Amino acid sequence: MEVVIASSSVADAGIGCWDLHTGAEQLRLKSCASTARGLTSVGHRFVASSQLRDPSATSGSVFYWSWDRPQVEVKSFPAEPILPLAANSEGTYIAGGSVSGEIYLWEVPTGKLLRKWHAHYRAITCLVFSDDDSLVISGSEDGSVRVWSLFMIFDDMRRQEATHLYEHSFTGHALRITDVVIGYGGSNAIIVSASEDRTCKVWSLSKGILLRNIVFPSMIYAIALDPGEHVFYAGSRDGKIYVAALNAESSSNDAYGMYIIGSLADHSKAVTCLTYSNSLNLLVSGSDDGMVRVLDPKSGNVMRMFRHSKGPINNVQIVRKQLGFNPRMVVNPQGSSRRHGSLLPPPLEKYTNSSDDDSDFRTVVSLHGTSYEPLESPHISSNAMNQQIEELQRQSSSYATEMELERLKVDSKRSMQMVEKWKQMYENLHQFCVDELLDIDQVQPTKAGFT
Amino acid sequence: MVRPKALSKKQQKKGIDFKKIKRKVGRKLPPPKNATNTEIKSKAIVLPEQSVASDRVGLAVNKKGLTLKELLQQTSHHNPKVRRDALMGIKDLFLKHPDELRLHMYAVVEKLRERIGDDDKLVREALYQLFKSVIFPSCKEGNQGPFVSLMMAYIFNAMTHLAVDVRLMAFRFLGLVVLHYPPTFLLYAEKILQNYEEILCKHQLFAQDRSKLKTALAGLMCCLSLLPCNDQEDNASEKKTTGKRLLHGFEQDVYASSSGWNTLGLEKLKGLVPVLINCLREILSVVNSLPSLEFQSFDCMLTILQSIDLAVKFFIATIDKSESDLQTTLGGATLATLDQGVASVILKRLCVLFPLNPAHHASQKDSDRYFALNVMIADIFLSCSEWISPPDDMSERFLEFVEVMLLGKISDSAKTEATVSNKHLLLPFIPKLLAQVPNNWKSRLLQAFTRAFRECNHQSSLKLAFLSIIEEIVIPGQNRIHLDVSDPELLDHQIAWVRELPALLIMLGEKHQSVTQVVLRLILRLGQSASSRPTLQGEYDNIQYPLQDFFCKCQDESSVSYGPFIRLSQDCQELAVSCLYYFSHLDSALLKAIATCYLCNDLEPSVLFRTIEVLDSAYAAGHIWISDIISFFITLLSRFKVSPDNALPVKEVEPKISNCGTLRLLTSVVCSCLLHIGDESMVLQMIEKVIIDQMKLKPSRDNACALLRLLVTLDSKPTRLSEQTIDGLASFLALYLIDICSVVIPHISEEDDEAAVAFLDRMTHYYVLPCLFLFDRSQRLLKLVLNEMESLISGRTSLSCLKNGSHGTDHSTSVIAIVYVLQLMHKDFKIRQIQSSFKAEIECILRSLQALVESSTTLEERHKLQCAYHRVHRMLGNLQERTPCLL
Repeated sequence: MEVVIASSSVADAGIGCWDLHTGAEQLRLKSCASTARGLTSVGHRFVASSQLRDPSATSGSVFYWSWDRPQVEVKSFPAEPILPLAANSEGTYIAGGSVSGEIYLWEVPTGKLLRKWHAHYRAITCLVFSDDDSLVISGSEDGSVRVWSLFMIFDDMRRQEATHLYEHSFTGHALRITDVVIGYGGSNAIIVSASEDRTCKVWSLSKGILLRNIVFPSMIYAIALDPGEHVFYAGSRDGKIYVAALNAESSSNDAYGMYIIGSLADHSKAVTCLTYSNSLNLLVSGSDDGMVRVLDPKSGNVMRMFRHSKGPINNVQIVRKQLGFNPRMVVNPQGSSRRHGSLLPPPLEKYTNSSDDDSDFRTVVSLHGTSYEPLESPHISSNAMNQQIEELQRQSSSYATEMELERLKVDSKRSMQMVEKWKQMYENLHQFCVDELLDIDQVQPTKAGFT
Repeated sequence: MVRPKALSKKQQKKGIDFKKIKRKVGRKLPPPKNATNTEIKSKAIVLPEQSVASDRVGLAVNKKGLTLKELLQQTSHHNPKVRRDALMGIKDLFLKHPDELRLHMYAVVEKLRERIGDDDKLVREALYQLFKSVIFPSCKEGNQGPFVSLMMAYIFNAMTHLAVDVRLMAFRFLGLVVLHYPPTFLLYAEKILQNYEEILCKHQLFAQDRSKLKTALAGLMCCLSLLPCNDQEDNASEKKTTGKRLLHGFEQDVYASSSGWNTLGLEKLKGLVPVLINCLREILSVVNSLPSLEFQSFDCMLTILQSIDLAVKFFIATIDKSESDLQTTLGGATLATLDQGVASVILKRLCVLFPLNPAHHASQKDSDRYFALNVMIADIFLSCSEWISPPDDMSERFLEFVEVMLLGKISDSAKTEATVSNKHLLLPFIPKLLAQVPNNWKSRLLQAFTRAFRECNHQSSLKLAFLSIIEEIVIPGQNRIHLDVSDPELLDHQIAWVRELPALLIMLGEKHQSVTQVVLRLILRLGQSASSRPTLQGEYDNIQYPLQDFFCKCQDESSVSYGPFIRLSQDCQELAVSCLYYFSHLDSALLKAIATCYLCNDLEPSVLFRTIEVLDSAYAAGHIWISDIISFFITLLSRFKVSPDNALPVKEVEPKISNCGTLRLLTSVVCSCLLHIGDESMVLQMIEKVIIDQMKLKPSRDNACALLRLLVTLDSKPTRLSEQTIDGLASFLALYLIDICSVVIPHISEEDDEAAVAFLDRMTHYYVLPCLFLFDRSQRLLKLVLNEMESLISGRTSLSCLKNGSHGTDHSTSVIAIVYVLQLMHKDFKIRQIQSSFKAEIECILRSLQALVESSTTLEERHKLQCAYHRVHRMLGNLQERTPCLL
C-alpha cells in the first residue's frame, strides 16, 4: 500500500503516516523534529530522519523508526549536524549533507561510514539519488548544484588524478538552493533546481548546461516532476503551486511569467514540500500551516487533507509499504541492535574506520531479496562474511572437526528419530492388520480357513 | 581511281534536271504578269511590341539587356574584357533579380568556378567581388555544403597554378569560403594546410611585396581561428539554448566539430608552425636592416604570431582533451612526438627572439609596434610554458616582461588603447603563473597585479578583465588551477582586492551598470564561497560597512542622499539584495540604510518585496538578530510615505496612482513574515511597546492602520496585550476613528453614484476593521474608547490633537464623526453584542450630546447635532430592545 509520510520541525508532532488510497491514518511515529529534506524511507523498510539540532551542537543525530513501533529504535550521532538525508532506492546506502558542506555516505546494513567528502562551500540543503542510484545530486546554501558520481567517489585512482570530484557544478543561482529533482532518462536526464532567488533552473545532465531559467513571482521551496516530464510543479512561499512547462506548450503572455502555465490550489501559507505519486497520479504537498494536501494535478482540486501538526511541515514522502511484512535481518553480531532487541540495522558510524581494509566495502549488497523471501536469504554484508571466513581459517582444523562432530551428532539424532518413527509406523500397521483380520474372522467365521 | 569518273557523271545529270537560265548581271527581271501589288501605304505604323525584344519578355536581364544564359556563356569568352564585363553583368543582374540567383544557384556556381583560375587579374578580381558581395550573402540560410564542394576543387587547382598571382587569389577565395561556411576548413583541413605550407616556403615571392604575404596569411588566420580550442564557446552556447522552446528537441550539429579533423591534419599543422616561424625570422632580418618598422611588415609579423598562437592553443586543447578522455582519438605516440617536435622549434627558434627590440632608435609608433609583437610572443610562450620546459633565464625574461606590462612602465604610451588591449591578452595567464612560479616571483607578480588593479580606470573594459581574474583566484575550485589558499601573502592580496570592491561600486555609480553587475556578482560569489575560510568571511562581513553608502549616504532626518542603489537596473538591485543574505551577521546600521532607501518612493515595489523575502530567509538562517529585523519591518510600516499625502483615495482609480496599494501589500507581507519568525506571543510582546511608541508620534492614517493590522495579526482572542498598551491604544484609537470618519463623511454625503459609495464603504471598512478586532478581543478597550469619545464630546479633552489631519475640523463635525463611528460599530454584529454591555457609556454620550445641542449657537449646527442625537438615541433603543433576545 502506498503511504504518505510527513514530518515537521516541531518535535511533538512526530511522523504522520496516512494511507493514500483510503486516507486512513496509520501509526504515528513519535518524537521527530526533522530538518528540511531530512526524512527518507530506507528501501521502504524503515524510516530514517535527521534531527534538528540547536546551532551550538557539535554532533548531529539521525534516528530510525520501524513501521510497527512508534518509538525511536536506533539513534546515531554523526560527527556534524546533518541537514538533508537521502537513501538509494534499495536502501543500501544513506547519504547525508552536513552544515559545513560535507557529504557523508554510509552503508546501511553495517552502519559503516564509507566516504565523506567536502562538497560545497556552505551547508548542504538537499540531496537526491539519481534513478539508477549511480549519481548523487546535491544543492547547497551557496547556490550551487553539484552532481557526484559514486564511481568517481569510490575510485581512489581517479580521485587523486582529478582536479575536482564532481561531474558538474552548476552555479547559476544567486541564493540558497531549496530543492532539486532529477528526471528520468539515465544520463540524458534533466535536473531541475529551485532556489530562494525566485528562479527554477533546468539543467541538462549529459551536456552540463543550463537549458531553461524560469522566474517565479515568489520564492520556490519545493518542486515535483510530472512523470511524463511535460511540466513540473513548484510550491512557493506565497502558498501557490505553480505549474511550469518543460516540454508542454506555453504561451508567452501568461499571467505569472514565461513558461509558467498556471497555478494550483492556494494554501495561503508557504508550500514547503511536494511529492508526486506516480501510481495514483496525485500530487502531495506539505505546507507551513501543518496540513498535508493531496491534489489532483489535472483539475487542481484537493482530494484529501491530512492534519499533521500546528507547526510547519518540512517533509512529505510517498512510501510503498509491504503488507504483513516484518523486516527481518540477520543481526550483526557486534551491532548494538541485539541489545535493543530491534530488527533494524546498527547506528551509523561517526568516523571512517581507517584500519579496515578499504578494498572490501565497495561491494554493493542488495537487500531487496529479503522483502520477498524473508526467511530464505538472510542478508550478510561482505564484511560479516569475511569475518566468519577468517574465523574459520584461524581456528582451522579443531574448529572444523568440532563442527563436523556437531553435524554428525545432529545427523545421528535425526536418524534415530527416523528409526523410531519407522518403528512406530510398523507397529501401527501391524496392529491395523491384526485388527482387520480379527474383524473378518468375527463377521465371516466360516471363511477364516482361507486366510 | 574510279571515283572521278562517277563524279563527272553526276555533274552531267544535274545539268539535265535543272536547266540553267542565263541572265545578264545587273539587269532586273520584269515582274511576272500575274503579280499582286503588295505595297501597303499608311500614314503611321503602330507596333504592339519591338520585334528584337519580343523573345525576352518575362526574362530577367541586366542593364545591357542580356539574360543570365548569355552572360554565363560570355564568361568563357576568349577576350578577358568580355569575360570581365560578363561577370559585372551577372552581378548587376543578381542585384536586380535576386530570385534568379536562388533558382539557378548551382548552374551559376558550376560555370563561374571555372574562372577562379583565370589568367587575367581583373577577371579574377571581378569574380571575387561577385562572390563576396552577391552570391555568398544571399545564400546564407540555404544548404551551402554541396555548392562549396563544387568550388573547392577549382580552388585547390588554382592553388597549384604556375602563376603566383593566381595562387594568391585562390587563397583569397578560400578565405572567403571559410568565412561564409566555416565547416569547410575542417572538411579540407589537411589539404588547405598543405597548400599554405607550400606557399609560405617560397620566401622569395614575398621579399618584395609584403601585401601578397598578408593576403595569404589573412586566410590562414581565418582558418586557424576556427580550430576548436576556445573555452568561451560553452558560455555562448549556454545563452543560446536558454531561450529554447523545447527541452528535448532534435539538435542540428552546427559544426561538424572535429569529426573531420584527423591525425593527418594535426601533422600538417605541426609542419606549418616551423614554416611560419621561418617566415617571421625572414621578415625580421629584413626589418632589422631598415631604419624603421613599416606597417606592412609589422602587420605580417603580427598575423604570423597570431597564427602560431592559435595553433599552439589548439595543440594544448588537444592534449588536454586526450588527457581527460580515457580513450584518445589520437594515439599516445603521436602526442609525444607532437610535443617534442613543435615544442623545441618554438623554444629554440621563436622564444629566443624575445624580446624584440628596435635595432635603431625607435619612434613612439615603432616601440608600440614592437611592444605588440612582444606581447604576442609572451602569449605564445606562456600558453605553452609547461609544455616546452624552458630554461630559467628565459622564463625570467618573460616574467619580467609581464610585471613591467602590468605596471604600465613600458613607455609613456601606457595609456594608449593598444597597450590596454594587449593587457587583455596576458591577464588570463596570471592565475596560472601564480600557481607555478617560485615564491619571489609570486609576490612580485601579486604586487604588480594589485597595483595595476587599483590604478586601472574603473570605466574601462580592462577593469572587467581584472575582475574576472580576481574571481578566478579568490574563488577556489573553479578550474584546473590550484593555488595554495593558505599562503599568507596571497591572502593579504585577496583581502586587498575584496576591500576595493565596495568603493568601486560606489565609484561606478549608476552609469556603468554592466561593470556594477560584474562587481556585484563577484561579491555574491565571494559571499557564497567564503564561509570555509574564516579570514575571507571576515572580510566579506566587513564589506557591509562601506556598503551602507551604496544604499544610502547620510541618514539625517533632514538630508538623505541616496546611494547608487536606487537608480540601478532591477537585475543589479536583485544581485545586491542577494549579497545581503551571505553576511554572517547583518549589521543594524546597514539595515537602517536599506530601510531608508526603501522609504524613498522611487523604488519599484517588487524590489522591496524581494528584499523582505531575502532578509526573512537571512533571518531564518540566523544572520540577523530578531530585534533588528523587527525594527526594520516596523520602520518600513510606520514611515512608508503614502502619496498623495494623507488624503483618502476616494476614487477607484486612485490606488493605482498612489502607492496606497503598495503599503497594503507590504502590510500583509510583513504580517506573514512576523508570524513565522518566532512564537507569536513572544513577538507580540516585543513589538507591543514599539508600536505604542510609534502611535504616540501620530503617524499618518495609512501607517497607523498598517501598524494596527500588524498588532491584530499577532494578537489572539482574548487579547494578549498588556493593560498599559490598551490604555495607550484607547486614546489613540478614538482619535484615529474620528479622523477616518471625518474624512469619509463629506464624501458620503456628496456621492450619489452607487459604485462610489460601495467603494467608500470598503475603504472605511479596511481602516476600521483592525479596531473592531481589537474591541472584540478586549472589551475594556472598547469601554475606554467610548469614555474617550464622551469626554471629547463634552469638551473636556480638546480636539486640537486632531489637527494633524488635512481636514481641520470644528467641534460639531467631529461630534458627528463620533456618532458615525458608533453607527459603524453598531452595524457589526459582534461589536453590537459587546456594545450592549456598555449601554451606560453610550447613555453618557447621549447626555453629553443633549447638552451640546442645547448649548449650540447657530441654527444649522443645532439641527445637525439634533439629528445626530436622534440617531444615537435610536441606536440605544435598538440595543435595549435586542438585549433580552440576545440573552
